[in-house]
Amino acid sequence: MSGVRAVRISIESACEKQVQEVGLDGTETYLQPLSMSQNLARLAQRIDFSQGSGSEEDEAAGPDGDAQDWAGAGAEQDDEEGLVKFQPSLWPWDSVRNNLRSALTEMCVLYDVLSIVRDKKFMTLDPVSQDALPPKQSPQTLQLISKKKSLAGAAQILLKGAERLTKSVTENQENKLQRDFNSELLRLRQHWKLRKVGDKILGDLSYRSAGSLFPHHGTFEVIKNTDIDLDKKIPEDYCPLDVQIPSDLEGSAYIKVSIQKQAPDIGDLGTVNLFKRPLPKSKPGSPHWQTKLEAAQNVLLCKEIFAQLSREAVQIKSQIPHIVVKNQIISQPFPSLQLSISLCHSSNDKKSQKCATEKPGPEDHLYVLEHNLHLLIREFHKQTLSSIVMPHPASAPFGHKRMRLSGPQAFDKNEINSIQSTEGLLEKIIKQAKHIFLRSRTAATIDSLASRIEDPQIQAHWSNINDVYESSVKVLITSQGYEQICKSIQLQLNIGVEQVRVVHRDGRVITLSHQEQELQDFLLSQMSQHQVHAVQQLAKVMGWQVLSFSNHVGLGPIESIGNASAITVASPSGDYAISVRNGPESGSKIMVQFPRNQCKDLPKSDVLQDSKWSHLRGPFKEVQWNKMEGRNFVYKMELLMSALSPCLL
Amino acid sequence: MGVTCVSQMPVAEGKSVQQTVELLTRKLEMLGAEKQGTFCVDCETYHTAASTLGSQGQAGKLMYVMHNSEYPLSCFALFENGPCLIADTNFDVLMVKLKGFFQSAKASKIETRGTRYQYCDFLVKVGTVTMGPSARGISVEVEYGPCVVASDCWSLLLEFLQSFLGSHTPGPPTVFGNRHDAVYGPADTMIQYMELFNKIRKQQQVPVAGIR
Repeated sequence: MSGVRAVRISIESACEKQVQEVGLDGTETYLQPLSMSQNLARLAQRIDFSQGSGSEEDEAAGPDGDAQDWAGAGAEQDDEEGLVKFQPSLWPWDSVRNNLRSALTEMCVLYDVLSIVRDKKFMTLDPVSQDALPPKQSPQTLQLISKKKSLAGAAQILLKGAERLTKSVTENQENKLQRDFNSELLRLRQHWKLRKVGDKILGDLSYRSAGSLFPHHGTFEVIKNTDIDLDKKIPEDYCPLDVQIPSDLEGSAYIKVSIQKQAPDIGDLGTVNLFKRPLPKSKPGSPHWQTKLEAAQNVLLCKEIFAQLSREAVQIKSQIPHIVVKNQIISQPFPSLQLSISLCHSSNDKKSQKCATEKPGPEDHLYVLEHNLHLLIREFHKQTLSSIVMPHPASAPFGHKRMRLSGPQAFDKNEINSIQSTEGLLEKIIKQAKHIFLRSRTAATIDSLASRIEDPQIQAHWSNINDVYESSVKVLITSQGYEQICKSIQLQLNIGVEQVRVVHRDGRVITLSHQEQELQDFLLSQMSQHQVHAVQQLAKVMGWQVLSFSNHVGLGPIESIGNASAITVASPSGDYAISVRNGPESGSKIMVQFPRNQCKDLPKSDVLQDSKWSHLRGPFKEVQWNKMEGRNFVYKMELLMSALSPCLL
Repeated sequence: MGVTCVSQMPVAEGKSVQQTVELLTRKLEMLGAEKQGTFCVDCETYHTAASTLGSQGQAGKLMYVMHNSEYPLSCFALFENGPCLIADTNFDVLMVKLKGFFQSAKASKIETRGTRYQYCDFLVKVGTVTMGPSARGISVEVEYGPCVVASDCWSLLLEFLQSFLGSHTPGPPTVFGNRHDAVYGPADTMIQYMELFNKIRKQQQVPVAGIR
């Protein structure tokens, strides 16, 4: 400090006066500084003459603080300082001087440091690595605050929206009965095809998209149900949607297939009573339009089936022409048998409901054939959409895939016929009906024989698996108690469409026609043959010897059904012989041959010298078979044989 | 499709075509064959148009378009020594469109019509070959259904032919010649018919002016 040059400092008074007011144009009006007398008065007011020196010191501290604030004040301030301060050594500029001196010191130090640093020999300046964070802390918090604000605003909007949604949901749940038209329409669209035409909504209930070629349009219209009175209570089954089906598809319909034995008069044709079958129960949860549409679709399908059948009935030439009258098709598969297929369509009018008093018999209605008709028409639909037909080249006609190849591959007529299915719906159904009828008649024949004749017994084992055109049954003819021995008559009957084919155990194949009498006669003849076969088997078991056996004897009275068969068996000792002749009509005749010495009425002659000749068998005697003991023929035969074999005692 | 032999039956001396046909059919019926309807084989000739010949050379090729009632949905198109095409019946319509390239030779339609007899595995067709209104000859076709390889059954066919044709039995057809184990097809039958028709056309040259 001592070597430092003196520094000139210029001091300037602030000359600041307090602003009294700022005018509108920016000019400031200053307060006039207090004059001497005013100042004195002010100071005198401050002095509290009642207090001691402590208070004076306090007061001195107060104005002293004021005086120091006014740095570089004027003469009035000098006075004031002199008045209150009790330290005479302090002159008014002391503090200023001290401040200035400290400032000078600081500056000199700074100057020294800088000059040393400039040389970079003893001190260097290194920048202080400062984190960027501290100065940025304030912008981050600003961002956070702004983000918070904006999120709060978005949350507010979302909450408002959620509130609205919950309100509407609760509203919906309240009005569940009152269903919306649009929600109902959505449900309808899940089941049926709809399209919008202008301002109308139309739907399609035909089978055209499934392959049908029926020309009915099958369109229904969806209408809004507006006849609801909001004041009254909404009914339970109210539906805001209603469907309007075409007038010719109203009501319900079904195809009735029945077989009648006697042919009715011509005048009776076409007078089929429409029996209103009770509507099939709809599923409990399904709305009323679903049942309505399903019923209409069923009516359409029945109409298509009947149209196809009647078209074929007229076009196809058959030996006995089919008759088509009104809603009925009549054909004669067998003579004296009539098959009638009719379309029963009952609308929902109250008039027709009254007429439905007659109930058809249980055998009249062949439900199986009706079901098959539905299946057949659906198969026909599928054929038009099958992969055999589609896809096809643009230039080729609509038809079977192999038919397109028949030209380039030079198919002859047999091959072409094998591709084309020539049978129509009607022919198929008639064939099925014929088979059903033949099968039931065969079963009835066998059952009636079985119940009528006890000896021998007929057993029929029907096969579970059969075709629409073919069934089979195995018929066994046995004697009760001797099933293991006498099982030579086993017949396999294959019942076809028009014929019954019988395959015998011994390999013969016989074809019988549809007449039931033929089958009955055949079975009766087989039964009579069985008795004789049974004797043959029994003889083997009992040790008797078969002398002769014939399935078809040419002697004796002629049988009208089949032929009589005969057998002669001899006892083990040779003494006796039994001869049996059995015919389907003439019944059984049994004769026993006795040795000569047991017959008393033989003429004695001189020719026979030796007595050994009397042991030979001689004349026959008939057995009164109906008086024999035993429950059936074979049992009686066994008893007879055992009676004629002497026991060795 | 079995092995087929097509041959011509010469008209008996002093008799008309119709009477010879009747003789043959009576022989067949006595043999035990059963009549099964009628048959028809026809042939149209086309030749390539002059405009397409250009620098190639003199005469264009002849194309024959034939139909056979045995294959009712097919149409056969063949060149003389060339390939045989089996096509759909739409081929006839196509020929109309190809009028510029193929021109129909005048008065060229030749056909044979007759009855069809079935005798167990043999199918015999006896037909009258007509060109226009006039009958030109008799065609006899015998098919043995079960066999498709020509060399295997030629001897059997020959024997059968001898039984009712007698001395007019033909030799083995040229289509059998080269390929011994090849499968016989309908195209071969049509080739035989084409050769037969050409032979018949050449026989009576007087009434018909220049076929080509």
